[in-house]
Amino acid sequence: MALRDVKPTRSELIALKRRIKLSERGYKLLKMKRDGLILEFFKILEQAKDTRDELARKYERAQEMIAIADTVEGAIGVKAAAFSVGDVPQIELKSKNIMGVVVPEIKSSSVRKSPTERGYGLIGTSSVIDEAADAFEDLLESIIHSAEIETTMKRLLDEIESTKRRVNALEFKVIPELTEARDFIKMRLDEMEREELFRLKKIKARTEA
Amino acid sequence: MSVVIGGPAPYVYVCTRMRVRKSKLLPREEYLRMLNMSLPQITRLIEEMEYKKEIDELASSFDGIDLVEEALSWNLAKEFQAILAITPGILKQFTKSYLRRWDIQNVLTIIRGKKQGMSAGKIKEVVVPAGSLDVLFLDRMIAEESAERSVEMLKNLPLYSVIEREYSAAVESGSFGRLENELYRQFYADLIDEATSGLKGGNQFLKSIQLDIDIRNIKTIFRLRGQAISAEETSDVWIPGASFSVDELKRISQIETIDELVDTLRKKVKSPALVDALEGLREEKPIHEVENSLTRAQLDYMDRLSKRNPFSIYPILVYLEKKKYEVTNLRALARGKQANLPAERIENYLVI
Repeated sequence: MALRDVKPTRSELIALKRRIKLSERGYKLLKMKRDGLILEFFKILEQAKDTRDELARKYERAQEMIAIADTVEGAIGVKAAAFSVGDVPQIELKSKNIMGVVVPEIKSSSVRKSPTERGYGLIGTSSVIDEAADAFEDLLESIIHSAEIETTMKRLLDEIESTKRRVNALEFKVIPELTEARDFIKMRLDEMEREELFRLKKIKARTEA
Repeated sequence: MSVVIGGPAPYVYVCTRMRVRKSKLLPREEYLRMLNMSLPQITRLIEEMEYKKEIDELASSFDGIDLVEEALSWNLAKEFQAILAITPGILKQFTKSYLRRWDIQNVLTIIRGKKQGMSAGKIKEVVVPAGSLDVLFLDRMIAEESAERSVEMLKNLPLYSVIEREYSAAVESGSFGRLENELYRQFYADLIDEATSGLKGGNQFLKSIQLDIDIRNIKTIFRLRGQAISAEETSDVWIPGASFSVDELKRISQIETIDELVDTLRKKVKSPALVDALEGLREEKPIHEVENSLTRAQLDYMDRLSKRNPFSIYPILVYLEKKKYEVTNLRALARGKQANLPAERIENYLVI
């Protein structure tokens, strides 16, 4: 706000004081929100680290089990068993609110299946197919869980970023400018008052002379 | 070339051929040597063996490890067809019936592949024509425009009755697991019927079928251990006709302690090889080790039977099984090396 645009009137001063009060209240609230979000973020970050490690571990296991299945049953046997998969896992997307940030809540179904539900027969296949399917079901569950945690983390980060920008804008731009304008008006009003007093004194002196 | 017709001579001839072929299979020491080789060395060795012809034939369509695997499968299919061609009379009938398990695998692969919208080329890669359905028939099945049309082609085959009964339910549920289990159950029921129909050598055939059924049922019991599955859910995975009835198997599958399980199984099984193998399962082992020791027991016992009955169905069945496991082992070595699995790990999965 350029000072030349400021009207040095009493009503403007009152309005400015109100805005300063509002900005300071907003600043405090946003600062609290930012701190709260950072706390939430660190909690989620711990979970995300654990989930990432778990995901990497499960991915390695799934790769190992599929390599073993390929080894024992051959790519032919594994492909033939893979043709059996008919029931595709389903995910249900809901949302929840963390300090005003909408984050996803993912629920999955039909991921874990028993060997009798997987679509291949037990008589014509061997246990390595079960072990590979188990490992990949584990991995899929981990991916879904990880997707939820990491999206939450990303949304929180975005929100922290924008809250931080608002806090900084209020702290370093809006409030200082408003305070400067208020001081300017105060100074101008004081000056105008002094001018008025001086003028009155001059008039009085001229009248007496 | 002299052709032997009539009398016991053809039986002697084919059983001798089987023994010769069996003696050419890779010995245990060779697998142990291969475990220490690199993948290119193993591939080169396989190329130098009897699989060379198939590798050369398929080299234009496949490469790398896929070429090795396809060549092994094609060699297996050709070998089984060659055995069918030289086997005479009732032995041929038994052998043909025994190889029908490959038809089940191929037919199901085609139906599933078509239902999943896989291309004809992809399905063809997965089919191993080692059964009674030849390559041309399977190719025609694959080329049909829908799975239903492929199923219609099976009308005159023994497996059609089960497919006709179970197919619509399988399509509706999206799972062909029950259909697959039913096909195998029917396959074993048909084998038992054939073996008990009064044909010469039927008793010996029956004995090996029942051993196979027992082994498969015991493998399934161990496979389902620790899974939260009720006895009712497993009703279609058990094969009747050998040492255990379906109800017994359902009950046994719910036994929790390993000692009680082994004791219950031991009471019913007759084959001494199986009894010994079961004794070895008293301590908890990974399921693949259980499966492997049972398979080894089955092969050893069949081998012994084939020596006791040199001119029967046994030499043929032993060779078919041992050849299958040679292919499985070579594939396991190649695939295991490609996946950088340690030699000890690969060895655990070899049937040697």
